[in-house]
Amino acid sequence: MRPQSLDIAIATTGWLCLGMMLLIVLLRVRRLLRARRQVALMAPYRRDLLVVGAGEDHDGAGARRLARTHGPAAGEVMGSAVEMLGKVRGTPADELIHLLTIRGEVSEAARRLSSLLAVRRARAAHVLGLCQQDPAVPQLIHALGDSTVEVRAAAAHALGLIGNPVAAPPLLRAVGATDAGIPACVAAEALLAMGTGVAGALLDGLADPQPRTRDVAAHVSGVGAFTRCRPQLRALLRDDADLTVRQTCAAALGAVGGAEDAEVLGRHTRQGVPLSLRRVCVAALGDLGDPEALPALAMLLHDPDPWLAELAAAALLQIDPGAGSTLSDMAGTEATDPRRGRPVASALLVAGLRGAVTE
Amino acid sequence: MTLGGGARVLLADDDEDIRDLVAFKLGQAGYAVQAVDDGMSAWEAFQADLPRMVVLDVMMPGLSGIDVLRKIRGSGAPEVPVLLLSSRSQDADIDLGFAIGATDYVIKPFSPRELLHRVNGLLARTR
Repeated sequence: MRPQSLDIAIATTGWLCLGMMLLIVLLRVRRLLRARRQVALMAPYRRDLLVVGAGEDHDGAGARRLARTHGPAAGEVMGSAVEMLGKVRGTPADELIHLLTIRGEVSEAARRLSSLLAVRRARAAHVLGLCQQDPAVPQLIHALGDSTVEVRAAAAHALGLIGNPVAAPPLLRAVGATDAGIPACVAAEALLAMGTGVAGALLDGLADPQPRTRDVAAHVSGVGAFTRCRPQLRALLRDDADLTVRQTCAAALGAVGGAEDAEVLGRHTRQGVPLSLRRVCVAALGDLGDPEALPALAMLLHDPDPWLAELAAAALLQIDPGAGSTLSDMAGTEATDPRRGRPVASALLVAGLRGAVTE
Repeated sequence: MTLGGGARVLLADDDEDIRDLVAFKLGQAGYAVQAVDDGMSAWEAFQADLPRMVVLDVMMPGLSGIDVLRKIRGSGAPEVPVLLLSSRSQDADIDLGFAIGATDYVIKPFSPRELLHRVNGLLARTR
């Protein structure tokens, strides 16, 4: 016979499960009803929003009707306008920004940036960014130090949308802030969106004591083709205490390097250099595209590390697509080793899938 | 006669705003737009009735725009212009799109006017 306490535990668990299921159903029904209500409220204005969003509001009638909305529909219309604003650029974006400005959404967003609710602060940063509110840059820079990561990320993204390079130094410092950083990819995208004006900030970022800041600065230097940063990238590739930073510098030199960088990168493909860095340098040589690297890459086809050998074959094909036939011959005689695989054959296969082989 | 001349354009995007916006813009220019919200529907619509042009979002549930493009180019159908519409703006993404056979690539957020010009241009070249 089961003890009474077990029966009580089973019954309690059963009721709890039932309660949870009911709660889930109720929440879903609530969400569905809310979505329907939103669609119903928005329906009379949907065409006007499309007319404005498509840049077809030649007489301004659509924007005027949207601007006249009131009551519960107004919130839906402005929310939909913000959504639409994130998807278009050019004249329609300007018209949507004007609409949001005259309806007070922009000034409201500036106020909400200091709301007690993190979700409101993040939303406010998003709106200010979409509306390209340059006067809000100081507030957004302040928000880079917000206690909530979502708000910090939204502020960084907004600063990228506004594109004022004055925000680049604090953004780079915020990336490396201990326990309060921002996602590196968000910071990098924002910096890239700020254009060539961030070059000075990148040079400072490459000398920052925080490795995350150096890493983002190196990445942006490469992707954004900031050739001024080459000397610093070379120095960090050689000496940085952080391996990730060294790898990012290698990749950046692959993207933006000059004539001397085939030798610099080649030096870091040698035995004794950490394997992960050697691999990045081999791939970077392929990106760099300098034929001077071909002999070193050919040697690496026989490297004990099969991944590195495959990267070397891929880099050879990148620099000299005509090498496909030579590599095909080599792949034909490549021994099948279950531990090593067939790196040259694999590189050819991948290159073939990419349509990069020209035999 | 309007610019689009009733030419049939197949449009696939899982974002309702973009779908409605592009359909509206091209519709205003005289195109007959068939809009679907996923890759599989796009592929079925393409097979059912060959459009003059296809506008594909890259990231869609199920079959992606890249998958649909690959199917279109492998179908043996005539070279229907395919414009990819994507928020992926890295060079590698754009290279991949063109390598698979895209005729054009537009990055989101986009200018509806520019999109229309590109559609007009692509169709003018294939007429």
